[in-house]
Parts: sequence; structure tokens; C-alpha cells
Amino acid sequence: MNDQEFLEYVQSGGQVEATDELPDDYRAKLIKFIEMHGNSELMGVLPEREWILRAPTLQRKLALTAKVQDEVGHSQLIYRVVEDLGKPREQCLDDLISGKSKFHNVFHYPTKTWGDVGVIAWLVDAAAIISQKALLKCSYAPYARIMKKICWEESFHILHGRDVILTLMNGTGDQRELVQEAVTRWWGPLMQFHGNPIAKEEDPMYVWRIKSQGNEEARQQFLDGYVPQIWELGLTVPDPKLRKSGDGVWEYSEPDWDELRHVVTGHGPKTEERLDFRRMARENSAWVRQALLADAA
Amino acid sequence: MNELEQKLILEIADDELVLGWRDSEWTGIAPMLEEDVAFSSIAQNEIGHARALYELVARELGTTADELAFDRSPDEYRCAPIVELRLLDWAQTIARHYLYEEADAIRLERLKRSDDPEIAGLAAKIDREEAYHRIHAQMWFDRLQGEPRFAAALAELRPQAAVLLDSELRGAHTPELPELWNEMTMVRRSQPAGTKW
Repeated sequence: MNDQEFLEYVQSGGQVEATDELPDDYRAKLIKFIEMHGNSELMGVLPEREWILRAPTLQRKLALTAKVQDEVGHSQLIYRVVEDLGKPREQCLDDLISGKSKFHNVFHYPTKTWGDVGVIAWLVDAAAIISQKALLKCSYAPYARIMKKICWEESFHILHGRDVILTLMNGTGDQRELVQEAVTRWWGPLMQFHGNPIAKEEDPMYVWRIKSQGNEEARQQFLDGYVPQIWELGLTVPDPKLRKSGDGVWEYSEPDWDELRHVVTGHGPKTEERLDFRRMARENSAWVRQALLADAA
Repeated sequence: MNELEQKLILEIADDELVLGWRDSEWTGIAPMLEEDVAFSSIAQNEIGHARALYELVARELGTTADELAFDRSPDEYRCAPIVELRLLDWAQTIARHYLYEEADAIRLERLKRSDDPEIAGLAAKIDREEAYHRIHAQMWFDRLQGEPRFAAALAELRPQAAVLLDSELRGAHTPELPELWNEMTMVRRSQPAGTKW
């Protein structure tokens, strides 16, 4: 198959395996995309990690620990796919902490209250699962396969998040306030999450059928699935223009694309602190990895 | 369940709770992703054991597992100082893990022989999970044996492990316990007692 035939093959729904011959450009795009996904799962651990110690009941403690464990497990699985494509995990981790590779915008922001913990598990994970479900049909079959497990686990996270939110909304005035403040804080990053509304035919990740839907399609799906739920709980979304038009399309204020660009290029409010934290953890435990390597040799 | 048994069960539950809380601090920052996942599982198991043990005692005392876990003051906890230490160093963490599992195995064997079928049954159930913790601890013990910092950590912590098996030695706490308590109860304390979370 030459590159053109390969392109036609994947565009007609064909899938390839790790052992197939892949065009260089396709392989490079796959690595970039999948590595960023792995990075995001790993960096996504940090905003929630701080709250593992503060979980207010034994049940919440267990659920949050299990959720964060799932995220680490996802990054492990995802980096393995990247490794098969030619980039070792250690190199991915080095590039992550040096700032060379990227991770999703939502993981650059602070987690201020227990309300944020609920909103992250409910809405951030909901936004993520929409992107991830669109990867079930990925042209690269090994990635599509692990996405089944990941989507299944993420759907549990959403249930956990929704349960945290429902409990707070049925609680005291202060608890409801926590949720509203968190929704207000996270709305901007959530609207930016699926990326700018570039036409999917111009998005190389769609052209190669690494993902199977465009950015705006994903955002519309998110709004359609979750805005009614948010409203139903009596919460307000901080966007006066948000409404569903007669033809079923959600209208909203233009998300702040400059903020998105700024944040994902490493200038988010928590980017530096979190990368420093990861760098420090990696340096402190370097002796363990060296001891194991020496042991294996 | 007599008073002595209640006291013993609470001691073990407090150990498991606080150790579980400490182990969960490794989430996201273990030396390798595999260990992150493993340590998180261990933390969840320990907290699950604490919950089951608290439930046994809570029924007798007319309270709940959550109230026992969170709503006592730090000086009411009966955990051993070794589980309270904040050891964000892998050599010390593994040394504590190894010593704890060693003592816990002895303790569980005793509980499995309890005349109270509920206590014996729960101990057997807990022991089935602890068996995996012991394999994990042993594997790391074997791997780090030759590391001077691991040998130092074991030597430093070993005397403290005796408290795990002797009620008479319990009662003293490290300054880390009130710090941990402050953090683990801060969300819960922010609203009136009885608030659902």
C-alpha cells in the first residue's frame, strides 16, 4: 500500500495493527496524539491527588483513590501503545516533565474545593469520555482496543462524580455553593476542552482517522448531554448566550481560544508547579529504577 | 464481643486506616507506574479492612464506621506510631510495608482463632487480601536488600514495629498524626456533624 492507498483504506473505515507498515507521517501523528493522551491521564492524577487525603467519608475515599488509580492505569496502558510505535515510556516521561510534550488544558488548573473534585469527576470526565468514545473506531486498532477498557472505567467515574454532586446539591446551602462555584470555575476550560472548531476535513487527526469526529461535534455532544442535567440540578452556567436553537444546535459565547493556547503551551495556573512536582518525584525515585535495572542485568 | 476484643479491633482498624491514608499518598508519584497502581490497590485494601473492622465495633457501640474513622480527636486513635509517619521516601516506605505486613500476619493468625465467629471470619477474609500484600512486600524486600538506604530504613523502623503487636505499648503518637487528622477531616469538619457527603 502506498500512502494514498493507506489513506483511502483508513478513510473507508479500515484499521491497521502494530505489525503493519505505516506511513511515517501517520506514525508520527499517532505518537503525538496518543502520547498527549497518556500524559493527560498521568497529569490528571495531580489535581485530584491532593483531595485523596481530604475525602470526607470512607466510601468517598475508596472511590476517589480507585478513580485516580484508574487514571494511572490508563496512562500505563496508553504509554505501552506509544512504546509499540517506537517511543519508549521513559522518553515520554522525560519529554513530559521537560515541557516538550503537552497535556490537556483541564489539568493545568487548580482544584480548590471538594466541589471541584465532584465537577472534575462528573463534567471533565464526561467531556473526556466523548473524545475517548470517538477513539473506539480509531484506525490504529491497538489504541481502539484499549479504549474499550478505558471508556468503561471512565463511565464509572462519571457516576461517582454525579453522586458526589447530587449529595452536595441535596445538602446544606454551603455545599450547594461549593458546586456552583466549581461549575463557574470550570466552565471556561470545559468549553475549550474539545479544541477550536476547525473543520474536521482540515484536522490531520481526523484525516488519518485517528479520531472519528470533529471538535465542534464533540462539544455539541457534551452540551447536549450535560447542560440539561446541570440546569435540572438548579445550577447556573456562566454563559448568558448558552441556548439550544430551534435546529438543535447549541449556541454559546466564543470560548477563549487564547487562553487555551496559552495554557496548553505550558502557561496554565498550575502547569509549572505540577511539572515541578512530577520532576521532583521522578528525581527522588531515580535510585529505585536504577537499583531494579542493576538487579535485572 | 467483649471490651478487650473491641479495643483490639479498634487498634487494628486505626492502624489500617492511617496506613491506608499514608499509602494513598504515593498515588501518582511512585517510582514507576506499576507501583503507583499496586500501592493504590494496597491503600484501598487497607482502608476497606479498616471500614469492615470499624463496622463490627460500630454496631456494638451504636455508631458508624465513618464516625469512628473521622469524628474522634487525634488522641483517641489507638494506631501505632509507625503507621503515622509520613514517609515519602521509597526505602522507608518499603521498610515499613515489610515490617507492617510481617506483624499483621501474626496478628491476623491470632484473630482467626477468635471464639467470636464474626471476628474469625473477617480476619480470614482480610488475610486473603493481605497475602498479596505480603508477596508484594517480599518482592521489594528481595530487590532492595543490597541497598544501604533500605538496610538503614529497616534498622531504624524495626524497633517501632513491636508496638503493632502489643496493646500495652500503644497510646503515644507522633506529631504527624494530628497533621494528618487535620487534613483528613477538613472537608468533613467544614459542615455541621451529620452532614451527608
